[in-house]
Amino acid sequence: MGGRFAIIAVALAVAATMICNSVSSSASANDIVDEWSKVSPPPAPAIKQVKVDPKTTALLMLDFVPHDPYCGDRKPRCGATLPAMKRLLGNARIHGTAVIYSVAGKYEASDIAKDVAPAGNEPVVKSKADKFLNTDLEKILKEKGIQTVVVTGTAANGAVLYTASGAALRGLKVIVPVDGLSANDLYEEQLTVWQLANGPGFGGQVTITRSDMIEF
Amino acid sequence: MRVGGWMLVAGVTLAIGLGASTLRAASVIDNWASVKAPPAPELKPVKIDPKTTALLMLDYIKQICNAERYPRCPQRLPTVKKLLDQARANGVMIVYTGTTTPNSERADIVPSVAPKGDEPFVKSVLDKFLNTDLEKILKDKGITTVIAVGQLAQGAVITTGSEAAQRGFKVIVAVDGIAAQDDYYEQYTVWHLGNAPLLSNRVTLTSTDLIKF
Repeated sequence: MGGRFAIIAVALAVAATMICNSVSSSASANDIVDEWSKVSPPPAPAIKQVKVDPKTTALLMLDFVPHDPYCGDRKPRCGATLPAMKRLLGNARIHGTAVIYSVAGKYEASDIAKDVAPAGNEPVVKSKADKFLNTDLEKILKEKGIQTVVVTGTAANGAVLYTASGAALRGLKVIVPVDGLSANDLYEEQLTVWQLANGPGFGGQVTITRSDMIEF
Repeated sequence: MRVGGWMLVAGVTLAIGLGASTLRAASVIDNWASVKAPPAPELKPVKIDPKTTALLMLDYIKQICNAERYPRCPQRLPTVKKLLDQARANGVMIVYTGTTTPNSERADIVPSVAPKGDEPFVKSVLDKFLNTDLEKILKDKGITTVIAVGQLAQGAVITTGSEAAQRGFKVIVAVDGIAAQDDYYEQYTVWHLGNAPLLSNRVTLTSTDLIKF
């Protein structure tokens, strides 16, 4: 008799637990964290050949500082972009395209990686992720009559993402070479490329390309 | 001789292939399909100071928050309304936004979460700080923390959330209060806001039921 009560009590407890669990999971149902493991990325965006007008284009070289957390040892994917960026930079300079640099944190112009360091009086702005914020970047671009920016640098999901977005929101055309951006891992680079290619509000102002597909 | 000729061709082809691949480091486009998402972030309980916190209701406009256009937005409205009611009951400042694409006004906010009294409304694309008084509106009231909910996740939420962090605000993102057209956008918005360099230290990921006033 006592045994039967015990079994019923256990069964009731199990049922109550199941009901509670289902109630609490339905209360927080269908947010993205619940769905996290089911998410897969959409297909890669097309990368396109692009021709720029050297006179109205600026190459933005963002935070190529060979120290962590920028282009230092902890982010080898940044160092891997430098050879291609050196070639792009050389090409841009030969064609008289404006080159503008940025740094962040405690670093200055003289800290930029030697291979891609500023030359002459190429401007260097200093800000956190969005290089338009608290800098003269917008003024510098306007004074030079710039209509298109080629955005390269690190972090992809920091300086590149925000500065490219900020440029598009300010009416500039934006060109993003995929071999010029780097982050700690591929997921971060992927979301950056996808966001810049497909983010709302950019109205087709952003072109995803590769540095050897940019013709001056 | 013939074999030697083929070997030469193969060797040259291989050399060209190697040359091209060493010239060009693999970009994310080359590795796109193999990219794996990091583990889901931990959602943290948050205690709000009603005096210094504002709830940002981003782009709950009927032109886009509807079952035809972006069904995930109306699905989240009951949860967001609960948060809104709680915030109002506790005297938290509420700020609404609209956008210019499509053009929208205060009157276009969906009725179930519509503004009351003189709750401010600002209008801008993506970054609600750009070309608006938002920063001043918040700072004049002594706001130091914003709770971001709204749509699109990868539009107004990711951009305004990030800009708020860069302007020195603490940013609380309620993951059950943000909506996009699909789950990939919502996933990377959440992950990005929780991990973005230089600003994630000001961002807390939570859900509406973990916010205490």
